Amino acid sequence: MTQVLLGLFSGIAFGYVIQRVGATNPNKMALSHLMREPYIPQFMVLAVALSAAGLFGLQAAGAGRTMVLPTSLVATGLAAVIFGVGWGLAGYCPGTTWAAVGEGRMDAVFALLGGLAGAALFAHLHEVLIPMLYDPTNQGQITLQTWFGSRWFSLVVLLAVFAAAYLLIGRYFRPSHGFKDS
Amino acid sequence: MQQQTETQYWRIAPAAMALAGIIVFIFATYGPPASSSGFVSTLEGFLEVVDPSYLKGKTHYQIIPGVGSWLMAFVVGMAIGGFVAGRASRVELRDVPELWENRFGPSRLKRYAATFVGGFLILFSSRLAGGCTLGLFISGSAQLAISGLYFGVLIFASAMLTARLVYGPKAGEDES
Repeated sequence: MTQVLLGLFSGIAFGYVIQRVGATNPNKMALSHLMREPYIPQFMVLAVALSAAGLFGLQAAGAGRTMVLPTSLVATGLAAVIFGVGWGLAGYCPGTTWAAVGEGRMDAVFALLGGLAGAALFAHLHEVLIPMLYDPTNQGQITLQTWFGSRWFSLVVLLAVFAAAYLLIGRYFRPSHGFKDS
Repeated sequence: MQQQTETQYWRIAPAAMALAGIIVFIFATYGPPASSSGFVSTLEGFLEVVDPSYLKGKTHYQIIPGVGSWLMAFVVGMAIGGFVAGRASRVELRDVPELWENRFGPSRLKRYAATFVGGFLILFSSRLAGGCTLGLFISGSAQLAISGLYFGVLIFASAMLTARLVYGPKAGEDES
């Protein structure tokens, strides 16, 4: 029960913030993908960098629970490409879909229904697709630390990469002023 | 630092700090945050009523917890959070977004069909990779995971290319 309440509370806070910054707005997301809106990508990059630093501190204090997902060159890569097609087409990702439905967006309701159908189909085919696509090129639970050894140095590399991404987005994504928020 | 102008939306720096605070809180109280798994938990809820025997033979439903889980509560919470934030702000809601309408006209049916297909693709692929924008890119990268960084680079590249094909090369440019 505590876990359910924690999940509910975390979800409410998360959904509130992503709506207030505009990540649930598919028009804004489409402009981001067209490099006409730097704010949402910069928000994501900044949030990840701050989360990485915060999690580092949390782990240094001996708290928190982590679980690194494995990297399968074929399955993770192929999934990312398919994911990008869906994201670019609809302007929603799984998390923003729920918040956008709550916000009252009708097109998000259909994204949610499509998502349930997609998840159901994958779950049905799991026993076939995972051995075929995921397992053969599975590299295991590798992290930057696997490559660099030091946790400190790995965090610095991650922060440097995300700082560079933040600056590049600011440089090359030009805000479009002719469009309103919707 | 650039800021969003002429908008009802929050500035990105404080919003990112707030979100990172929530993410670290989730790591402290639960584990890596994830949202695509919540779709599977939701389906489990339906299937437990409709056909419980189907669930028993299916690995994917065995590895993802069901309705009474943190994951399910989290996505329901996100909908509530979106609802509250929507009431607290004055963002104009459109069934058909402006860019979409400029390209494909005002048909709701076309837009809903496209978001259904988009939703289908993002969830099918998230379940293959084991996570989505949150569960794999954000959670993974925060844990320094290669899977999160690899997934993150490719979803942005693929979405940017797709948006160009969907909306056309001139879409979103200022008309003057």
